[in-house]
Amino acid sequence: MRKLIILLLVVPFTFLNSYAGAVENLSISGYLKNETALGMKSLNEVPKFKNIISLSGEYTFNDQFAMFASGRYWYDAAYSWRDKYDSAQTFMQHVQRTDWLRDCYLDYTSDKLDMRLGKQQVAWGQADGITILDRVNPFDLTEYWVQDMADIRIPLWMANVKYSPKLNSTLQFLVIPDFEQSTSAPPGSPYTFRSYTLYDSWKKGKNVVEDIQYPDKEFENSTFGVQWSDRVGDMDYTFNYLHGYYYSASTYTQVYNPYLNKYSFLREFKQWNMYGTSFNKTFTNPGPLEGITLRGDFAYYNREPVYYGTDGSSTGYHLWDNVFWLLGVDRYIATGWLASFQFAQYIMEDAKPGIPGKVTLNRYTYGPADQIENIFSFKLTKSFLHDRVKPEFFWTGTDDNQGRISPKVTYELKDNLWLTVGAHYFYGHVQDTNGQFRESSQVFMNLKYAF
Amino acid sequence: MKRFFLSALAMILLTGVASASEPEYFNVYKPSDGMTADEIMQIEYFVKYTKFARDVELNGTAYFVDKSGSTRERATSRQRITLGRKSDDLAYKDLNLFTSPAQVRGLATLGWTYMNPARQTDTWLWVPSLKKIRKISSANADDTFMGSDFTVDDIVTRKFEDETYILIGSENFKGYDCEYDKKVYFKDAPCFVIEAKPKKSPWYYSKRVLWVDKNTGGGVYEEMYGPDGKMFKTIFKDFRIFKVDGKDYATQVLLECKDLRSGHRTVIANSDIRYDQGLSEELFTEKALSRSRW
Repeated sequence: MRKLIILLLVVPFTFLNSYAGAVENLSISGYLKNETALGMKSLNEVPKFKNIISLSGEYTFNDQFAMFASGRYWYDAAYSWRDKYDSAQTFMQHVQRTDWLRDCYLDYTSDKLDMRLGKQQVAWGQADGITILDRVNPFDLTEYWVQDMADIRIPLWMANVKYSPKLNSTLQFLVIPDFEQSTSAPPGSPYTFRSYTLYDSWKKGKNVVEDIQYPDKEFENSTFGVQWSDRVGDMDYTFNYLHGYYYSASTYTQVYNPYLNKYSFLREFKQWNMYGTSFNKTFTNPGPLEGITLRGDFAYYNREPVYYGTDGSSTGYHLWDNVFWLLGVDRYIATGWLASFQFAQYIMEDAKPGIPGKVTLNRYTYGPADQIENIFSFKLTKSFLHDRVKPEFFWTGTDDNQGRISPKVTYELKDNLWLTVGAHYFYGHVQDTNGQFRESSQVFMNLKYAF
Repeated sequence: MKRFFLSALAMILLTGVASASEPEYFNVYKPSDGMTADEIMQIEYFVKYTKFARDVELNGTAYFVDKSGSTRERATSRQRITLGRKSDDLAYKDLNLFTSPAQVRGLATLGWTYMNPARQTDTWLWVPSLKKIRKISSANADDTFMGSDFTVDDIVTRKFEDETYILIGSENFKGYDCEYDKKVYFKDAPCFVIEAKPKKSPWYYSKRVLWVDKNTGGGVYEEMYGPDGKMFKTIFKDFRIFKVDGKDYATQVLLECKDLRSGHRTVIANSDIRYDQGLSEELFTEKALSRSRW
């Protein structure tokens, strides 16, 4: 039966691929993937059994115009197997609304001018896995930050125009009339944020009304972005500016009626600005720094919502001006071993919210937040057996002794069949961003057939 | 003082002679009898990096074949623009793109190689899983080149200045039995035999022995010897002459590299080769790299 199902899935796509080969200028590609995870605390627990099907197609009209679209549907059987996840079933069991459409855009390219119009994602900045300037698209954090960034970003409909006044210089304009909020896992999922779980628990037995105010669908509510990128000597740099609605709603108690024990919450999206710059430089000339790549991001967030309250409970938010910067170093340290180290600092406008008895809160956990958060990450990668085996070690943590260790090995079974095994191990205090998932550490196995 | 000026003048003249003997970009050269080992190898490198052409596009497939005969494939597309521009030290720019299998489709690298032989290549990588460009450090010269049996040194970074050369002799090549298509190549082709020793020591090889084809200037066959003096790798390159605007462009159409220790071999077969299409330098920028859709 299983073989029949595999055949039924694979044959049509192999046929599609062949058909694409027969149609000039059309190219189709895709994959079938299974992602299975087992809880580290108890291997009987299966937090994920996700089956994904993805299909992408590109049609080239001529040298200048092309159309590209990709879709992805997934079904996570783990949510139908175990009662524990029932509360999250609706949201986590299958792809939501139109999220299946990942890309759908028309490309125009020429020497001076490029335009990409349609649903897409745009990645700014040099940081790897830490989103400092990478704030053009909202994020799907239903699986925290453990997925590839291309899967975490939520694509938006936008106009992306790049103009090059001279060689290696580009002025990019983004107009994003589309709006989506960042998403997170509902209570009952392996990666539900503590803040969400606490809020959900608190709500029980109370009369809570939530009023969510999305930005009106008007042009002036669009997100606008500008990036200037250029090269000085052998250093690349950018200047970035983004203005629009912050992708997470800010919540506060609008009305509390003690007689009815009724709470009215207002969740509203606030406009913010991001000013930033980034650079990268590889030392190519002989010397002690030869072979080192330095890269960095700096962002000034204007009017970023910051929650305050007491541990586990938010009572309001400020719109603060915060700074987030990062410096990264990459180098091959031995034959084929690429080491990558990053240090980042998130600096909030103030240490305290200025309200007696209240502290600023970590948005993921509602635990107390430091004014300055020092973040570190280290990645080590290498390929063996002619790129057939690719081990990777990744660690990220902060100065609060909390973090995540994610080793994995990818093995190419055949040209189109890849197996990945690995783990996500979380440690730290439950009030901290990674520590909140210390009971959700898991081992995983992904099997991917690409065509 | 007079002696100093005479010495300086002599140095300038000698330098002038040396640079005059270096092949100039966009010309076609062939080695000939009477040339020194250095002159022959300057031409060999010139041909290897297609410095005679303004631009070149190569579409082909790489085959990774293990000892048991199990084969993996990678289809690639490569574009190169030759610059030879002293103002910014740029020798050429390369854009490499994997077109299949689907798992690696879209993975692309942009490399800028400099004229200064001591300078490393600047490399940018388009990572499909990140959907963004990452500036990356140049891989070490002795690292494997994209998982093949070639090293980065063999394909990209080794320069004329990295080795010393001795002309061993001139002979008709015995011929190469190609495992990929079972043909015999360059049988009895007149070749120079050159011994090349790396200046870097210790290094992963102690010497190379090359057969440079007198007709094309291409290094058609080489044997690589390890620090222990044992041969550990052979590289074969089939050079063909492409006529472009009346000029003879010596072109690598097939490469076969055998690792004698593991029995693994890599074949790169270039099936579609186009020269001097007038590729714009704008194609070799980060903006162009970010056009990747996969």
